Amino acid sequence: MSEKSDVILCTCGKQLQLDYEILTDRIGKIELAKTVTILDTVCQDDDLEQIAKMIEKNEGRLVIAACTNQKIQPRIDQFLYSKGLDPTRIQYVNIREHSAWVHDDLTEASEKSVAMTRGALARSSTSNTIPTESKDVAGHVTVIGGGIAGIESAISLSGLGYNVTLIEIADELGGHLAKLPMVAPTGKSGTEVLAARLAALKSDSITILTRTKVKYVEGELGRFVVHLVTDAAEEDELHTSAVVLATGFKEFKPTMIDEYQYGKNPDVLTQLELSEMLTEDSLKRPSDGGEVKSVIMVQCVGSRSEDYKRDCSKLCCTFAIDNSLEILKRVPDAQIRIVYMDIRVPFENELIYAESREKGVDYIRGRISMVWSQGNETRVKLYDSLLDQYFELSSDLLVLSCAVLPPDGITELSETLGYAIEDDGHIKELYGKLRRNETRRRGVLAVGAVTRPQFAYEAVTDAQAAALVIHNELQGGRIEKIARGAVLVADDCVGCSLCAQQCPRGVPLMVEETDLENQDDEQKLVFKATIDTLNCHACGVCQSLCPSGATQLNFLTNEQLWAEIDAVLEGAGSDYPITLCFYCEECSVSTIDIVGTRKMKYPASTRLIPVPCSGRVSIVDILKAFESGASAVMLAACETDRCHIAGTGNEIAQVQVDVAQEILNAIGWRGERVGMYRMFSAEPERFTEAINEMVKRAKDFGPTPVHLGTAGKWMEVKE
Amino acid sequence: MSDTVPERDMAPKRRRMMDMVLALGGLKEESAVPLSKVNEEIASLRDELSPLSEAILGFPVSYFGQLVAALDASGLVEEIRDKSLLSEAVSNVEAALTGLPIESFESLLVNLQSVQKRFEKKDEEEAPEVTVDLTATMSSISDLISELDTIIADHERKAESDAEAARSELDELTSELKRILSEEESDIAAVLDALQKLGTKTRYGPFLRTSAQVKRGIREGRITEDRSSKLVFENVIMELNRGIVMFILNKMGSKTVTQMADLMDVPSKIVQTAIISMLQRGDIEMVGLEEDAPVFSRVLASPPGSTLVIKQLGQQIRAMRNSVDDALASVVDESLARLESFHERLQILGEYDETPLSVPINSLREAIDAATEGLLSSAKSESADELRLLVSAGLEAFARFRLKITLEKGPNLVSGLNVYGEKLDAEKYEQIMSEYLDSELERGTLLVLIRELGALTAHDLAEKTNIPQDRVFRHLLRMKRDELLTTVGETHGYVLYDVPRTLTEAEIIVQTVCSLAAQLASAKSELEQILSDLKAEDIGRLAGSLEVFSKAHDRLTKLEIGGAIVAEDLLQSVEESIRSAILLTYRTRAKIPSTRAKVTIDDLLDVDVPSVLDEYREMMGYAPLLGFGTVNWDHSKCLGCKSCENSCPEDAIVLKPRIKIPQFFEFTTEAIEQLPSTKAMFYNTVRNLATKKPVEDIPLDSETPGFGSIEVDLWLCVACRTCVRICPGPEEGALELELKWSLPEIVRQISES
Repeated sequence: MSEKSDVILCTCGKQLQLDYEILTDRIGKIELAKTVTILDTVCQDDDLEQIAKMIEKNEGRLVIAACTNQKIQPRIDQFLYSKGLDPTRIQYVNIREHSAWVHDDLTEASEKSVAMTRGALARSSTSNTIPTESKDVAGHVTVIGGGIAGIESAISLSGLGYNVTLIEIADELGGHLAKLPMVAPTGKSGTEVLAARLAALKSDSITILTRTKVKYVEGELGRFVVHLVTDAAEEDELHTSAVVLATGFKEFKPTMIDEYQYGKNPDVLTQLELSEMLTEDSLKRPSDGGEVKSVIMVQCVGSRSEDYKRDCSKLCCTFAIDNSLEILKRVPDAQIRIVYMDIRVPFENELIYAESREKGVDYIRGRISMVWSQGNETRVKLYDSLLDQYFELSSDLLVLSCAVLPPDGITELSETLGYAIEDDGHIKELYGKLRRNETRRRGVLAVGAVTRPQFAYEAVTDAQAAALVIHNELQGGRIEKIARGAVLVADDCVGCSLCAQQCPRGVPLMVEETDLENQDDEQKLVFKATIDTLNCHACGVCQSLCPSGATQLNFLTNEQLWAEIDAVLEGAGSDYPITLCFYCEECSVSTIDIVGTRKMKYPASTRLIPVPCSGRVSIVDILKAFESGASAVMLAACETDRCHIAGTGNEIAQVQVDVAQEILNAIGWRGERVGMYRMFSAEPERFTEAINEMVKRAKDFGPTPVHLGTAGKWMEVKE
Repeated sequence: MSDTVPERDMAPKRRRMMDMVLALGGLKEESAVPLSKVNEEIASLRDELSPLSEAILGFPVSYFGQLVAALDASGLVEEIRDKSLLSEAVSNVEAALTGLPIESFESLLVNLQSVQKRFEKKDEEEAPEVTVDLTATMSSISDLISELDTIIADHERKAESDAEAARSELDELTSELKRILSEEESDIAAVLDALQKLGTKTRYGPFLRTSAQVKRGIREGRITEDRSSKLVFENVIMELNRGIVMFILNKMGSKTVTQMADLMDVPSKIVQTAIISMLQRGDIEMVGLEEDAPVFSRVLASPPGSTLVIKQLGQQIRAMRNSVDDALASVVDESLARLESFHERLQILGEYDETPLSVPINSLREAIDAATEGLLSSAKSESADELRLLVSAGLEAFARFRLKITLEKGPNLVSGLNVYGEKLDAEKYEQIMSEYLDSELERGTLLVLIRELGALTAHDLAEKTNIPQDRVFRHLLRMKRDELLTTVGETHGYVLYDVPRTLTEAEIIVQTVCSLAAQLASAKSELEQILSDLKAEDIGRLAGSLEVFSKAHDRLTKLEIGGAIVAEDLLQSVEESIRSAILLTYRTRAKIPSTRAKVTIDDLLDVDVPSVLDEYREMMGYAPLLGFGTVNWDHSKCLGCKSCENSCPEDAIVLKPRIKIPQFFEFTTEAIEQLPSTKAMFYNTVRNLATKKPVEDIPLDSETPGFGSIEVDLWLCVACRTCVRICPGPEEGALELELKWSLPEIVRQISES
């Protein structure tokens, strides 16, 4: 199975400081190389035509040694697809950013380029073509939560042509927004903001289920089954292709904070309870129905407190000011005092803050120390930290701006929906910068205040974004794309479920094979994984963990990677210690490209092998590198918590490296020969420092104790 | 030293076993021991008891005959001063008479009642006399104090000589400990044995428990070698040090840390670390200062009454200070200073013989009371209501000192600010003060009543004073916290409160005798009734009444009147009879079924386990316990996938982050060939690369998918076999359940324990 490939060497317009004669000569002698062609600009049309011809000739087996594939691959792919050709077998070697631009010594740079091309040839020799596949899924999406975020999601999805079921646990749609008398900075009330949207919901493609609760969810993107319970305890199933979580937030009820007397004195309210009162236009003292002439509001009740919620709740300042202005509209001579720690009104909301000051709302920086009833008066003792004075005041209403907490039930749902939850209890988004609204589980989106406290307009933006993300995934119901990802051979699967446990996006599902069970006395339970390659993110974590090689990335099989490791390290030994670097094609590839374009230097005794995510590298790959003669092995990966593949690919890699270090130490090696380094793409120094360190170790630690050919020594070595 | 074993939670699995047995409805009347066998046992017990019963039943009558004669001769009853004790004694003897109408009890009762009558008369006589010669009283107080001084000094000298005696024992302890530690003993079990032997001398509970636990752990192989050595050389040694500290405090009196360290010949740091836990455990407490160093003493269950009384007398004298003229002031000051020093000295002594102190302390109290009364009456002598005067006397004496502080501080609170910048409202202050005064007055009333009438309950006090009972109760609790009151027992479900009293030797004897008379009388009639027709179901009551005899006997052998044990011969002769009777009873009780768990093993043998289990799961909501078993783990077949842990319904099996790498090198080639390809390649690569065989496991910081070793908590395992069934390892999987059954077996063990 050692198929030969053509090799193209690009000179980048004859600019690269490499000895092309030597390269041609040396590469030409590699067994797996069929031909070697030098082109000057593979990114230009003339050379692209040349590539097209070579692809046709040799079943697509082609190695292109040029600049970074991040730049040329998209162009080549586009060109070849336009000609109806399949570019999926092409393997790339970066001889510019990884070699010519970063090494001064021409010989060494050429040597490195030859070795890495040899590796790519090995990878190419067993490469697969990756077919374009398609599948049909129901054009149906379930939205959980009927507040502003859920309503907006439903409308947007319906607008994109999906059937939507909108599930709400309460009697009515509208959520918290329906209770707001005024939504800054629109100047409209919550009901007004909702009115047009509620009208838009009256569409044939939207089904609304109120008084309904989601019990749990099964399945995966394209075929989820949502299990529902209605108010009348009837259970129902809903088949759907994606799920939008828009369950909003919960207002903190401070009954346990004694000094506020909430729950004991009826004239002590939360801010949302006041909003409701104002929306219903029934502003009066709950205790005796008397009129409201004076109001004291307390900010940060529960928020910014180590005991309840550590962060700022973001919304409460604006809500308090909105409500103050509403009170003043109804009772112009009302005395309103807002006791605050810091007023935080973002964006245009600053305008209403200014307005409230003009209208005479009294802002007192300080805290309330106690609240008590005297006769039918509510007395409040407060400390003004700017005046350093205590005041005792009476107030008709005491309004507490309580913390915004994650809603009930999201932890329970996470058990079956498999999304991650932040420390503060909100749903964790896949990647704060690039993958907002997506969750760890493919096909499960989170919008609105369930991810963090959000104003109505933010929730609307979220909802619209999520609708587009879903549209991108479901493509209107017919999903068609290159099936680049993990492919599972069920016969090889032993059913250990490591892939299902560790997949960052929850793609593998374990299915019980009841046919195979109960065949003997052992009553073995037989499970097999299933992986829908179209759902796969192609990180390779499953492959790294699979004990049987049942699941493998179709563009980088174990066979390919092991052959490449072997080929790259051919002839490696102690006289010229080699450091092998696996780098992820997310942050690390960018970092290393920047190192190249800035022409930063590092030793040429390094060999680089790309992997889709550092999580693809297993301990076996690391040990194989040592077996093949590497003196040091390093992994370049994304920063902690910044793994682009749902935050856990690089953690799996870290485990492999940690265990490899421990095992090496235990079997008589220096564990530090393997190292894991994290980097942001904009910090090229982190890569050069890391690789310098590993090269130094390779040199300092001297020859490795054992490699291929010298194995089995331990048998003779006594402790 | 009472070695109380703290209540332990039942191990989860044992709890579950009990549940299981209950759920199976297995608690049926036991028929395993046939009735004929039971009757046989009872009959033989009756035969064996009959020669003994005569001596036992006759014992109370003949003993109390001799005892009452001895009491009469000694005139001890006449010496009783405590009215509450007297009335308690009377009611005890009355109770004894109803159970056992004998002459000696009657004459004892007559004696007691006559003394009681005399008291009543005396009260009436004494009441009117109010005038008190203050100067004379004060000088008598001063004399009494000097007398106390000598007695306390005696006690201190005795304590010192005791300490001297203990010194050699202590030296032996510490040098032996040093020897054990210095010896290069490699066998940790032997070291532990030696320590245990040594530590037994300290009789310190936590040490005994810790060492026994560690020993068991080592014996059962639950503790690794490293761990056990750490446990022995750190925890056990630490507990032993604590034991030695306790030994010192017990036998040599209160000490500072440095003193203890010198005695133990160790750095004081060790003592310092050791005593922290002892303070937390409530073994020891700080009782005073020597220079600047805290003096520690062991915690007494309750401080001796005399110590409390001395403290209280000090308070009372301090209260008098402002009301006396200058001439007397110096005497009062001096008395006060000395009483305070007595209190401290007594505290440092801890436990001591109270009897010699009793007479002078009681006289001192009378004198001080008289002085207080005198002081008050000299202001306005016409007293209308007798009780009111008494009440206010107690009140004033008691309350003035605290009131003084309150009165001095109160105005500050109104005029100035406190540290929080807060200010007390004048009205509020008045309210607080009036409430406070009311409470103090009520507390004083209660205190006087208790002192006069003996121990009382909250209920009695509420009736007598018309203060609502809940308030009375609050006051009592408060005064108990302030050590003004102690609890002395209960009656009709109410707790009895009493002021601390110092009983004289005579009083103690009479108290003991009378309460034992009541107990023995009722035990005797019960025993007679049981023995007349011995039945199987009476066996528990039989043992109970014999125990009463045995305990009473033990106490009576320590009772001396006029320096001799009463009826010593009689006590000796009956001792053996009582002991054998108890032994025989217990032996029979162990053989007959009524006291054992009511479940038959035969019943359970036929239970269709699977069908019961579904029912059980429905009922209990968790998996049923099928039995005990050992889950064996074959490392060479394990994929480290955690499927077992994830599927275990009871969290009994876990994949621990610990790589047993030495075993990688023990796997057979065949075993590796059986493994899935990549896993096999991993092992082969590791073996190929190795230049030495690892000898130690690799502990990992956190979970590592694919790696680890399996541990099973057999206390949690319910032997459901799910882990075995789901294990994806080659062939039958890496796990195997070795079922060491079984429910009937378990039930047998429960019923026998």
